[in-house]
Amino acid sequence: MSVIYVRRHITNIVALALSGVATLIGLIFLVWILWITAENGFSAISGSLFTKITAYADQGGLSNAIAGSLIMDLMALLICAPIGVLAGTYLAEYASSTKLGASIRFLNDILLSAPSIVLGLFVYVIIVLPMSNLTNGAISFSGFAGSVALALIGLPVIVRTTDEMLQLVPGTLREAALSLGIPQWKLTMQVLMRAAFSGILTGILLALARLAGETAPLLFTAFGNNFMTLHPLDKMASMPVTIYQYTNDPNPALHAIAWAGALLITLFVLALSLLTRIMFSRKKVSYE
Amino acid sequence: MNDLAAATAAPLTGAATPPKIKVRDVHFYYNGYHALKGIDMDIPEKQVTAIIGPSGCGKSTLLRIFNRIYAIYPKLEAKGSIELDGENILDKDYSMNRLRTKVGMVFQKPVPFPMTIHENVAYGIRHHEKLSRADLEIRVEQALRSAALWDEVKDKLKQSALGLSGGQQQRLCIARGIALRPEVLLLDEPTSALDPIATGRIEQLVEELKHEYTIVIVTHNMQQAARCSDRTAFMYLGELIEFDNTEKIFTKPGKKQTEDYITGRFG
Repeated sequence: MSVIYVRRHITNIVALALSGVATLIGLIFLVWILWITAENGFSAISGSLFTKITAYADQGGLSNAIAGSLIMDLMALLICAPIGVLAGTYLAEYASSTKLGASIRFLNDILLSAPSIVLGLFVYVIIVLPMSNLTNGAISFSGFAGSVALALIGLPVIVRTTDEMLQLVPGTLREAALSLGIPQWKLTMQVLMRAAFSGILTGILLALARLAGETAPLLFTAFGNNFMTLHPLDKMASMPVTIYQYTNDPNPALHAIAWAGALLITLFVLALSLLTRIMFSRKKVSYE
Repeated sequence: MNDLAAATAAPLTGAATPPKIKVRDVHFYYNGYHALKGIDMDIPEKQVTAIIGPSGCGKSTLLRIFNRIYAIYPKLEAKGSIELDGENILDKDYSMNRLRTKVGMVFQKPVPFPMTIHENVAYGIRHHEKLSRADLEIRVEQALRSAALWDEVKDKLKQSALGLSGGQQQRLCIARGIALRPEVLLLDEPTSALDPIATGRIEQLVEELKHEYTIVIVTHNMQQAARCSDRTAFMYLGELIEFDNTEKIFTKPGKKQTEDYITGRFG
């Protein structure tokens, strides 16, 4: 055994040990978080959680917050998914090598990492305040405003994944379709979208998972509501905001409900992640 | 200088049949880089013309001008004239739609669309022609039969084309191309991603298809050019060095460079 071999061997062991320890530290915290959430959450889950509203406080449940979150998440997705997919398509298919495309990508990345509280304030200024002025205060904070704020969280995720997934489609597929005389728009809609379908859908579900856990964008937009409402122009309760409020309360019974809510959000996001994994592996179009 | 050469020297042809494609003084630029330097050649109708040469010699570039597929990328420019049945396809007024129904192309890697086997063939036909369902079925079957694929796929037309083997996928791409009833078929190294058995089937297919189509095949494989072409063009560094009967190119080449290449002394 030469000296150089021994040295490389030792370097290898050290590097492997360091990265192993780093992975372990990351995993410990992840499992810890999940464990504590599950432990505190499961013990607080009860039937009244899904049937009673938050107005009953520690005698109540989270039904209005669950409904509000589902409505706002879904509306947010309806707003950001079409815009995001179309914008991502534009970037990948029409502006991939232009300066404009590069600038849009850069701005999109900024939006992706923008502090979510800033997006909340932005929507407060462009939607909540004007609505309030127009209606003399009859409509101010609303589920709709909350959805727009959440849509701004999801939008850059969808733009980015759509762009990337379309770029993964091999260029020869474009050439093949164009050489049959298929026009660009048909190629994009009927061939490329199909080839990248599972990837684009994955991006949409990831965006949903991302925006479902956001609190800050909802504070000045949807505000919160202790009663059940399904109307998008009412103030609307949501899971993250309710959890935030309950954990700030001195009442331990409310802490328990907050844990249950945290567990529900975690399970929702986990289910979404699993769904995206299954979809991506099953319907993936592969050109090696 | 080039103009003078083009005017005095007769284009390299070696063909007795009338030319389907007349290439005259064609130059090509990749973002300013001079990739083709004045190509003149006459491609005979209903014969197989092979283009050989080392990597980077411009053979694929030339092929990609014949259906103007290069035009989808920015900063590429072709000059000169390429007459297809007497009309210059490099003319701005020449309809791209018409060109691409007259000239089909098959690529190096098989790239079926992410659709069923049937849809892969029917997709192009449907875009260009309004056919009744029955007529469409006939056309799809004809195309698949011509590509020697029908017997293998007739029971699974509704399955995804991505489940086929590489060789089958490539024949499907040929079927997709000939379904539009083109007059010219361009094959860009169609067997370089295939095993020898699949390659043999494609070569056999080329042999059969030449009775109906004018075929231009670019290949890295000299044996392939020798086996399945009538004429062979040898290109080197963006120039057409020699273009003659395949037999002559491979037995008594006229130029030293051709001989060096086919005997493996370079390339």
